[in-house]
Formats: sequence, structure tokens, C-alpha cells
Amino acid sequence: MAAPKQDIVRDKRDEFAFHDDLVYLKQVKRGLSRETVEEISAIKGEPQWMHDYRIRSYEHFLKRPMPTWGGDLTKIDFDKIVYYRKPSEREEKSWDDVPDQIKKTFEKLGIPEAERKFLAGVGAQYDSEVVYHSVKEELSKLGVVFMGTDQGLKEYPEIFKKYFGTVVPPEDNKFSALNAAVWSGGSFVYVPPGVDVPLPLQAYFRINGENTGQFERTLIVVDEGASVHYIEGCTAPLYATDALHVAVVEVIALPKAKVRYTTIQNWSNDVYNLVTKRAHAHEDATVEWIDANTGSRLTMKYPSIYLRGKRATADIISVAVAGKGQHQDTGAKAVHLAADTKSRIVSKSVSKDGGRTSYRGQLKVAPGATNVVASVRCDALMLDDVSRSDTYPYIDIQEDDTSMSHEATVGRISQDQVFYLMSRGLTENESQNLIVQGFLEVFTKELPMEYAIEFNRLVKLEMEGGVG
Amino acid sequence: MTDTHLLAAATEATARRLSADLEEPDWLLDERLDAVRRVADLPDETNTLWTTYLDLRPVRFDDVTTYEAVDGGLVQLAAEDERLPDGAAALIHITDGRVVGRVRSAAAQAAGVFVGTFAEALAEPRLARAFRSAVLGGKSIAADDRFGQVSRAIASIGVFVHVPDGVELSGPVVVRWSVDEPARAVVSRTVVVLGERARAGLLEELEGPDVGAMQAPEAAPAAAVAQNQWWGTTEAVLGDGSALDVAGLQDFGPSTVGFVSRTAITGRDAALTWALAHVGGAWSKSRIDNHLVGQGSSVHQAEIAFGGASQIVDLSSYTHHVGTDTTGDLLSKGVFQDRARAYIKGLIRIDRSAHGTDSYLGEFGMLLAKKARSVTIPSLEIDQPDVRRASHASSVAPIDESQVFYAMTRGLSEDEARKAITLAFLEPVVARIPLLAVQERLRERLEVKWVEAHGGMVEHAASEGMLTGSTAA
Repeated sequence: MAAPKQDIVRDKRDEFAFHDDLVYLKQVKRGLSRETVEEISAIKGEPQWMHDYRIRSYEHFLKRPMPTWGGDLTKIDFDKIVYYRKPSEREEKSWDDVPDQIKKTFEKLGIPEAERKFLAGVGAQYDSEVVYHSVKEELSKLGVVFMGTDQGLKEYPEIFKKYFGTVVPPEDNKFSALNAAVWSGGSFVYVPPGVDVPLPLQAYFRINGENTGQFERTLIVVDEGASVHYIEGCTAPLYATDALHVAVVEVIALPKAKVRYTTIQNWSNDVYNLVTKRAHAHEDATVEWIDANTGSRLTMKYPSIYLRGKRATADIISVAVAGKGQHQDTGAKAVHLAADTKSRIVSKSVSKDGGRTSYRGQLKVAPGATNVVASVRCDALMLDDVSRSDTYPYIDIQEDDTSMSHEATVGRISQDQVFYLMSRGLTENESQNLIVQGFLEVFTKELPMEYAIEFNRLVKLEMEGGVG
Repeated sequence: MTDTHLLAAATEATARRLSADLEEPDWLLDERLDAVRRVADLPDETNTLWTTYLDLRPVRFDDVTTYEAVDGGLVQLAAEDERLPDGAAALIHITDGRVVGRVRSAAAQAAGVFVGTFAEALAEPRLARAFRSAVLGGKSIAADDRFGQVSRAIASIGVFVHVPDGVELSGPVVVRWSVDEPARAVVSRTVVVLGERARAGLLEELEGPDVGAMQAPEAAPAAAVAQNQWWGTTEAVLGDGSALDVAGLQDFGPSTVGFVSRTAITGRDAALTWALAHVGGAWSKSRIDNHLVGQGSSVHQAEIAFGGASQIVDLSSYTHHVGTDTTGDLLSKGVFQDRARAYIKGLIRIDRSAHGTDSYLGEFGMLLAKKARSVTIPSLEIDQPDVRRASHASSVAPIDESQVFYAMTRGLSEDEARKAITLAFLEPVVARIPLLAVQERLRERLEVKWVEAHGGMVEHAASEGMLTGSTAA
């Protein structure tokens, strides 16, 4: 059966394209070399250990072969990437000090000024450096640290050094090595023991400038019994040449801590998005990844939770939408290393217009992790027959009292449902849109209201954008 | 393993020598030479999803030597009088490097069913044509299956089964392989061709040196005996409207390593079933490739594995939907105790051409010991969303305690309850083994295996007489 006919709607993505002609104050030359890494470290005036760490990582990056699995990485030209740009000299403390050009971009993004007051804190990343940061006074009073990662290294060297690179070492994979060599920007969060951060911490990330790499590094440490919800949202301008986003996110949930990390990611269709996200959950801790991937040419991202302490809980909801020319190779990992731990993985993907979604996940129960309960659920929706959907789950159980279940289904939109909605006055496109939104609701309902609205708008855009 | 040929013998020289000894036609030599090249070029596992889940360390490729060519001189067989198992249509029995028996029922003979060696088939034009068209160009063995290509390159014996158009066999054709001699490797192929609307069963028995050894679970540990190996294929080609039921019972001895590659290509509306049990062997690899080409064709596959001691069981299966309205229904179940390890890998591939596919893959494990390990990788690759179903499910869980409790309320002891629940978990495949006697033998074997690890009594004991044609040659 042929693909259902859809309304031809013009591509609206360019409305969301940001490209302001910004004067960068500092920029290293294109390409990756030992000198580039040295220069980045020198510009930042880092301590010797970080300098050495970068060099060690760079050397590992060179040695490590490119992965042969997952998506097509052959088109990445590491010599064409600019590894560091600094748009303004210092971290801005107030909104008024933020350069006008950058403000304009944020306005296009639709962050109303009034909203800022509501937000617990805003760390905005414009290219490779945090340019705007406001942490509400009450958070400071609680002792919560929320700042750029570079600043965190300077101001909280003990906490930083104790945890940095402990969850994702440079040797983990080729791209974590690259990030460790050239990282810049990202968020540093520390929540002291017992503190319940009342509002989500939010950071907006942007790529601007052709071929600008983004190598942000986020480190979140949540101390005993504390809780926090961190949200990042990403969009990027459209460019013809390849952009590279290689981030590393490390989350440490100490005993009894609770962390939720929400991502809505919408890179432009030329971006390679290769992200290593991993959390350690200690005794009685809970970690939740709520992760959505739209846009980009290729995303390879598998948010992971290592359940290291007894009774720790992992919850991962992963959503991917792939349109024309896109490959979302995403998934999740839960690694049970301690007894009585629980994990749940839910993955939903939508592919259309020749896009490809791949679920790639791992569930591992190590020897000693007794009485584990784990479940994995993957559903894929294919909107036409030029798209592709793959499911690759790895399930490795080494304890005999594990209770694990896994299910996956792939299918298309039910024509009965479309017919019903059309009989209620919706167009075919609107009907499909609504069904897709319903399919993804398990994700959307976990989002704060304004993000849920934004995400549904994004899905709608994706649904309309590539048709034709 | 750094060897480039897996088996040292998988060389052009061996292929040429075997081909000459068997007086094979040039095209068959070319098949062998093509396979020698593939063996040299291919990685052990081409599927990058699975590369890290193939553990060949226990396999001693260098410690075995292969057999010389086994020719078609069946007419002079001393054991021509080997008993035909009750209900079977035919039997061919190969022990190590020799054909020790072959017999066909009167009905099978009358219908023109052929069971014999490649060499014999090639001597008869009608069979030669069917054989050639089934295997030409390597199409009946997966091109990326390095282990299957070893058989294609240097098989010293080939078994060919041919069921003509419209022939319906009531009982299965039994192909029995006994592996006995230490430090040797049997390398073989089995090709099964069913004509249009033909119906047949195939029972493959892979057995160890001494069936009686099961009575003595405390037998000497495997390490004392040199490893031996069995390499083989089942290459099934199903004509339009045909039906083939394959049952496979692998019960090698404890020092045997097995490499089994099975493929099937289905014609229009053809129906294929596999019922496979993996019980014995020190290390056992099985790969199945189902190519559902003909419109409306189907495969139902049920596999069980019962691993104990330090056994490694490596099962992979591909279901490739090509034609429209095809059905794939695959079920793998495993029970693993002691230090056994299992890798159960599956991939459903639905091509863009395969509208109306119904495909399901289930992989279920039960771990009975702390040191046992189960890896399951049920994957999907889908290019055509116009499916009736495309899904998989997997679970690993211990014995359900509420079932144990229920069985105990009905008067079973706890041990009996656990045993009964475990064996019942595997029963769906056991029940699909065609010959009752073989079915009973498998049930007993599974029970013995349970008792070896958990103690207790073997209650099921099939009477001696039921061990059909048990030929410890």
C-alpha cells in the first residue's frame, strides 16, 4: 500500500533558523591539533591538571578508531571544525549586560522577559561559552550552585576535581575523548545535602556560526537526599556544511538523591549530534532521563544509568523523530550493579520521509546485582514506506533472580484512527499529527507545561516540514 | 583467535583434493573455491550488532583434523540393514567420517524420494539438476556466514534429500550424525529440496559417542578428552505450496564443539517449521537464515536450549521477509544452570517489498544458578510499515514462585515442582519433535540434565526399547 497522501505544507523550519552576524572575540583556527588543545586551555587559564587531562584525552582520541556501528560518521571532517569560539569576554551577571545580538536570538527563541523571573535560573549558552547566567537569590541561599562549567572549575575546584570525568572517562569512547580534549561551556550544578530545588534549572543551548563545534560539558552533582530537575533545550540554525555537537553529561546522584534530566533537542539537519550522557545512581537514589531527539543529520545518544547502590532506581524515556535525511540512533542503557535495583526504559520513535530511527539499548545485570526488576518497551511508528525503523536491544543477565521483560513493536498509523478523526472534521495531516502527538504522550506528559507546548509545536513542525 | 581460516584445513588445496576425490563437476569445485575465498575474507561475525557476543575462546580450531572424502559407495555398506526407526520414511546415518547406514521405507522408495550423498545425486541427471539449481552460486548458504562457508568449502560429505513434486511423506527422513572420534572434525552439508506441493519431515539427530553415558552423571570431566567438532549445514529449498517440518536434536557429548548453519528459501505459499533442541556439546553455535521469498510463505520456528556445566550456547536467527504476506513466528527458550552461558540473537528484517508481513520473535530465558548468564538480542530492521505485525518480546526471570507454590499444594515436593515447571517451560518444542520415541528420549535427556545439577531422581526413564535405533557405532 502506498503512503497516505498528506497536505503539502511549506517548510517552516527557516522561521526557526538563527544566524546573527556576531563578532567573536576569540576563536581558534579550524582543525584539531595538540596546539588547538593547548590554546583552548591557555585562553581559559586553567589549572595544570585540566591542561594535562585535555592533552591525555586528545592523545586517546587520536588512537581510538572511529566506531563502525551506528550511523554513518564518514562525512565528519575534523579538520573543518572550529573547536573554540568565545563571543564575549566575561560571564554576564545581568540580562542588561548581554550583547544585543545575543538577546535578539533569545527573543526569536521566544523566551519572554517575564518568564525569566519565573525560571529558577537561566544558563544560556551562545556558541561555546556561557554568556548569561542568573541564579535566583534563593537558590544561592540554599547553597545550590548553577553556573557555567568553566566557572565551576574556577570557583569550586574541590567538588569539580572530585567528580569530573569519574562517570564518563575520556577513554570511554572516541567522542568522549574529543569532548574531554576541547570541552568548553556547559553547566555545573551542585545541590547540597537535603536540598530540594523547588523549580527546574534550565539552560538553553545554541549553535551559531557555520561549522562551529559545540563541545559542552555538563557536570551535575546531587548530594545526599537532595533533589533537582535540570532541563536543557537545544535548537540550531540551518547550514549546509556539517556541524558537530559532541557533548558529555555526567550526573552523580549520591545516596537518596533524586535527579531528573530533561532534554528537548532540535538540531538543524546538518548537525552530527554525538553525545555521551551517563549517570551514577548510588544507594536509594533515583535518576530519570527524559530525552527527546528531533532534527540533526545523525544523532547517536544513549542516556545511561549505572545503578551502583542498593535500591537505586532508573527511569528513562527516550523519544526520537526522524525526517528526511535524518538518522536518530538513540536508545538507553541501564546497568544494574547492585542488589534490589530497578529500571524502566520506554522508547518511542517516529520515522517519516525516508528518515531512519534506530533504538539501540542495553540492559545489563551484573553478578551480585540480585533481585533486579527491569523492563524495556520500544515502540516505533513509521509514517510511510520510504522510512526505516530498527530495534537493537542488548539484554545481558548474570543473576538468576532477575525479573526482566522486554517488548517492541513497529507499525504504521492506523488508518481507522485517521478516518475517524477526519470524520470529525480534521484534515488528514491534522489527524496524523494528533495521532503522533498521542503516541509520544508518554514523553510529553513528563514535561513542564511550557515545554510540552513547545515540544508539540516542534512535532507539528516536523510533521509538516518535510512533506513533499 | 588469530587464524585466518578457522579450520586450518579450509584451504584451496583441501577443496581441490576433496573435489577431485569425489569426482565433482567443475561447477561444484568452483563453489568450493568461492567459499574458500569467503572463509579467508570474512570476519567471524559480520553483523556488527553481534560482534562482541561471539565467544570462540573454548574452541580448539588447531587441535582437530578433518576427514577425507566420503564417497558415494553406499551400495557396499555393511550396515545397509540398519533398522528404520518406527514411523520414519528414511534414515541415513553417518558416524564420524563414514556412512554407516541408509534405508528407505517402501513408500518412500515408491514415491521416488532420494536420500543419499551428493556424489550419488550428481550421478543421476534428474537429481543433479535439482541439486545444482538449489545450491548454485552459494545461494543456499548465507554469504556472510563464515562458519557455513567452511562447510561449503571443505565438506567431506554431503547429504542430499529430494522429495519430488506432489509427494507427501507420512514420516520424517532421519539424518543422524554420530560424533565419536577425539581430535577430529566432521565437515558436512545437508541439502533438502522439496518439489511443488511436496510435504515432508526431516529429523536431524546430532549425537555424542555414548547415549548410555547419561545414566552416569558423575562421569569423568570433559577436559580429559580431546575436543572434537561437527560442522554442518541444513540447506532447505521449498517449492511452491510445499511443507517441510524440520526437527533437530543436538545432544553431543561433553567434549564436542558444534557449528550448525541452517538456511531455508521458501516458494510461494510454502510452509516451514523448525523445532530445534540444543542440549549437549561443550560449545555450540547455531545460525538460522529464513528467507521468506514466496508470496504467502511462512516459517514457524521453536528452539530450546538447556545449558549446564560450563556450556556455551550461541543461537542466532535471521528472518528475512522478501515476499508479500509472509509470516515469521520465532520462539527461543533457554534454561541455564551451573556456569552455562547463552547468547540468543535474532534479527527480523522486513524489506520494502514485503507488504503484509506478520513477524514475531520471542526470546525467553530462565536462569537457575547465580553463575549462569543469558544474553538476548532480539532486533528488528524494518523498511516496510505496512505490516500485520512486527514485534518482539524477551524476558528473563527465575522460576515463578507462585507456580512452585501451586504445584506443592497439589502434592509435589518443592524439588519436583521446580523440575516440572522448568521442563514444562521447554515442552512447547519437545512436543513438536515428530517421532514419539525421539520425543521421549529428549524429555528424558532434559530431565537427566536437571538432575545432574539439582539432584533427585529421573522419573521419566524411557524404556530401553524406546531408544529407537540407538546405535553407538
